[in-house]
Amino acid sequence: MSTLSTLRLLCSQVLAILGKDIRYELRSKQTWLGMGLFALLVFVIFNFAFDLRVENRAAVAPGALWVAFVFASLLGLGRTIAAEREGGSLDRLLLCPVDRRAIYLAKLLGNLLFIGVVELVALPIFAALFSVPLFSGELLPIVLLGTLGVAIIGTLFSAMTAATRARELLLPLLVFPLIVPVVIAAVRATGALMIAAPDEPPWLGLLTAFDVIFFSLALLTFSYVIEE
Amino acid sequence: MAVINKTGAPLQEAAAPMRRPTLPIASLLLGALAFVGMMISIWVIFLYAPTDAIEGLSQRIFYFHVPVAWLAMLSFVIVALGGAVYLWREDERWDWLALAAAEAGAIFTTLTLVTGSLWGRATWGTWWTWDARLTTSLILWFLYIAYLMLRSYLGKTSTSARAGAVLAILGVIDVPIIYESVNWWRTLHPAAEIGTPGALPPSVVLVLMLSLASFTLFYCVLLIQLYQLVRLQHLTSRLRARLQVVD
Amino acid sequence: MVYMVIAYALVWAGLFAYLAFIALRIRAVRTELAAVEELVREHEARQE
Repeated sequence: MSTLSTLRLLCSQVLAILGKDIRYELRSKQTWLGMGLFALLVFVIFNFAFDLRVENRAAVAPGALWVAFVFASLLGLGRTIAAEREGGSLDRLLLCPVDRRAIYLAKLLGNLLFIGVVELVALPIFAALFSVPLFSGELLPIVLLGTLGVAIIGTLFSAMTAATRARELLLPLLVFPLIVPVVIAAVRATGALMIAAPDEPPWLGLLTAFDVIFFSLALLTFSYVIEE
Repeated sequence: MAVINKTGAPLQEAAAPMRRPTLPIASLLLGALAFVGMMISIWVIFLYAPTDAIEGLSQRIFYFHVPVAWLAMLSFVIVALGGAVYLWREDERWDWLALAAAEAGAIFTTLTLVTGSLWGRATWGTWWTWDARLTTSLILWFLYIAYLMLRSYLGKTSTSARAGAVLAILGVIDVPIIYESVNWWRTLHPAAEIGTPGALPPSVVLVLMLSLASFTLFYCVLLIQLYQLVRLQHLTSRLRARLQVVD
Repeated sequence: MVYMVIAYALVWAGLFAYLAFIALRIRAVRTELAAVEELVREHEARQE
């Protein structure tokens, strides 16, 4: 089989699984609503935890934003494979003559989509609640790359922890240490948008490099993690 | 998974590898060597090494701190290598090695954090700063704990071994990235403590090398013991599982 | 000076306690293994 037709087959498989997940999510609405409300609650808590005045707002706001995003993402990411398992459909999915990488790609895209929608809703609310100017086109690549980094690691590990008893506990323990560079880079890049710092290191470059390296690693290793 | 084989292969076959004597002589010799090395290095650290002009006696912690930190990092590389070879060869002995190294590494990382913190208190006047080295060591510690927790939650299965291998491989690539990103994040890093070896008097380098060598020997002894432990644990649980299947 | 003594004491005590702990665990597992092997032997004797 030629590379092109293999690629086309992979794409159709990815789209099929992705379509199934989106339909499921549109019907149940559990993940979206839960993640969105959780992100809002984190904003509220942060408002009380840090006294956000004008002078320290720029220092705290990026951190608050990303903590809310990362926590909300993990909430949704934990459900990725676990929902399939609870529904009993994981075995069927694995029995399908589908490349394991297609499953990973579909789940990754699905997670990215769900988290992205939540973030799109949460960003204007965040900007309004904390009255920070966060509506610039430059924020978009930062949010996208940061979310991608979290989703790459999170999707891989949600497959790993789905079989364990304490998956809600274990998933953050595995994911948080690994995504430290993503969090640092995303927070600093967002902060640099609010206050222009003179010579910042290339945070977007770090984010991109992280995403590329870990995406290839995850594609390589996903089949070892999901096999029963 | 060929662990539980219901076709009635004789149970003695599974029990056979345990009967093999485990060559205690080599292990004992290594242990004795490590012990002698440790004693010499203690003597040298306290009596031969010159006292640092600025930092005073607390600088001597370094002859401990550096080898322990080096072994903590080496251990994680061993975990990742063991995991990678396990994924490649499907030979569970590599997984046992990885698990043993993870346990030793967790201990050595804890010791690194404790000794480093004590030195920081004595020299900087603070237990902790968010410097790249310190933060990376802390993240390394979290990774070890996460690895051990993952392995214990998943039990002694091949799923557990594969998941651990993937975590270790991701971790070993992530740790340098973490170091670099923290370095960028906090640009004020204290001057490298070891610095260029040429800047140190030769006697200090000698003592440090001796200490490194003896600690590495000790680590080897520890790793062999841990490997035996992990191996015996796996064999026992396998034999038990087989017994239940037969019954 | 105090810190250094504490550090050395901690490291040494920690390492040796750990080694002793491992030795104890190995011994426990060996005992368990012997017990399980005994079970296996009994089982085979019963089968014959």
